[in-house]
Amino acid sequence: MSGRVIVITSGKGGVGKTTTNANIGTSLAKAGKKVVMIDTDLGLRNLDLLLGLENRIVYTIVDVVEERCKLKQALVKDKKNPNLCLLAAAQTRDKTAVTEEQLKDICEKLKKDFDFILVDCPAGIEQGFQNAVAGASEAIVVTTPEMSAVRDADRIIGLLEAKEEIKSYKLLLNRVRPNLVKSKDMMSVDDVVEILSADLIGIIPEDTGIITSTNKGEPIVNDEKSLAGKAYSNVARRIIGEDVPFLNLEEENSVVAKVKKFFSGLIGKEK
Amino acid sequence: MEKGYIENGFIVDVSNACKTSEIIYELSTILDLPDAQRKKVCLKLGGIDLSAIQLTSIKALVESMNSEIEFISTDSEVTSLAAKELGINLSKIENKVPTPDFNLEEEGRNKVNKELEKALDKIFGDNNNEIKTFSEEKHLNELRKETENPEVPEYTQKPIRDTLFAEPAENSGQSENITDVTDSEIDSEELAELNKFNRELEAANNSGNIEEDYENITYEDIKEQLKETEKLPTLYIQRTLRSGQSITSEGNIVIIGDVNPGSEIIAAGDITVWGVLGGIAHAGTSGNRYARIRALKMNAIQLRIADVFARRPDNANIPYIQKTDTFVPEEAYVSRNQIYIHKLHEE
Repeated sequence: MSGRVIVITSGKGGVGKTTTNANIGTSLAKAGKKVVMIDTDLGLRNLDLLLGLENRIVYTIVDVVEERCKLKQALVKDKKNPNLCLLAAAQTRDKTAVTEEQLKDICEKLKKDFDFILVDCPAGIEQGFQNAVAGASEAIVVTTPEMSAVRDADRIIGLLEAKEEIKSYKLLLNRVRPNLVKSKDMMSVDDVVEILSADLIGIIPEDTGIITSTNKGEPIVNDEKSLAGKAYSNVARRIIGEDVPFLNLEEENSVVAKVKKFFSGLIGKEK
Repeated sequence: MEKGYIENGFIVDVSNACKTSEIIYELSTILDLPDAQRKKVCLKLGGIDLSAIQLTSIKALVESMNSEIEFISTDSEVTSLAAKELGINLSKIENKVPTPDFNLEEEGRNKVNKELEKALDKIFGDNNNEIKTFSEEKHLNELRKETENPEVPEYTQKPIRDTLFAEPAENSGQSENITDVTDSEIDSEELAELNKFNRELEAANNSGNIEEDYENITYEDIKEQLKETEKLPTLYIQRTLRSGQSITSEGNIVIIGDVNPGSEIIAAGDITVWGVLGGIAHAGTSGNRYARIRALKMNAIQLRIADVFARRPDNANIPYIQKTDTFVPEEAYVSRNQIYIHKLHEE
């Protein structure tokens, strides 16, 4: 078995790298793939919290690198899905505790046993980013429809293109609010794609359910009613190679939207 | 008079006593010790003749001190009769394992193992009421070594043994009712999960059969160890430990402040937190299983004492903010390969 190593990165912080990682990982595992997630955000780890595995961590990636344990020992199995594993970051160390070579080595070893290795990248473009990207051959660039996030994503794509190891990269647009897009208060999907000229792999709508799911330590893909959850599982299916159309976010909107539509129809197109 | 210390029960040897009052005195002294609380008692009476009335008073004494008599062993016929009258179990403490019943043996692959299982059942009872003498235990270990089947982990026999965050139930004196840190009950599913986790850890740590070394513990050993911990230097910290911060010490650690999630305290001795313990605490790193972890509020993500691990239960509904108006000081200790937490202050 030779797994695919995918790094999930963004440049800017707070756009949803870790959430994306947890959800894509969980849906890939649900689809029967063997998945391991590596948290490379040393010192500011969060992935374990999102998965609700915080209390199970005994060894971290730093312990593996410093040979205090074997790689297999450090893999924390998910509560529900045995196909899903987490290699946690150390909380009490910083990014310099691991080098690019060491991460590459770990990825190579994990490739043998897993279908997918998802690397959660820290924000920024310093050592942490370099480490995370080192072992990967594919990348998912997460961005939100905001100017600052798009600018940072552009910078990241530039850096990724300069790396020989990265064979392909895809764009994931997070926290899209169809209402705002409609009222032209937010950049549209097309705008972002045009600026970045990159292939889209998914559009995730803004969802308040994400907040609760993060606090509970339960990825939102496990909630079948959630639109964001559905969007994330679609991303996972696209990664596997299925051809899944993008969700029509506007149509899925609630009664409120329909009422608004009705009224705007009455008033006419004043804007 | 000698007394033995065994995890879930005591063997109290009073066979040298001359009077009933002496027996009662000895029993009350032993049962008064903090480590004797909620444990079962096994009385070794030797050749002493006790009437039913005397035995009743001893039984009443034991029960009044939150214990109960599991069984007695006696050579005297008078005492045996009295015990039968009162419905107290009789047992001979011998350096022998009861002979397994070979006639009932069904056809199976692991013949020897089944015999062993039966023998163990006879001594241990069905559940957790484990009372045995040291010599028996030694003998058992020998037996185990001979017949050990590596594919059958020892845990399967008494899964309750490796539950995590378990706290001895207050009323029944049996550790079947298990409460976690936040006093919510762990259901059987959770229990199984925890057991599994611990077994995985055990395998991961490749710690082998450490149990043997720790089973023959006497009360004196504990006292001795507590003295040892007292001698260690103590690091005294007056601030709150935040995420990512780590404190390591070769001695004890006292923290006046909170220990936030994401931080860790590692000490060769005891750990005492005058505040909320929310991070990882590892006491007795040098292998001292007598080390203890205390906190005004025990909310640790993980507790580690020597080579024993315990994690916070998943189903514990832990609020985002720990209320600081109520504190329930708790202490974690190792008993029988698992970490227990008990309240330091009983209401």
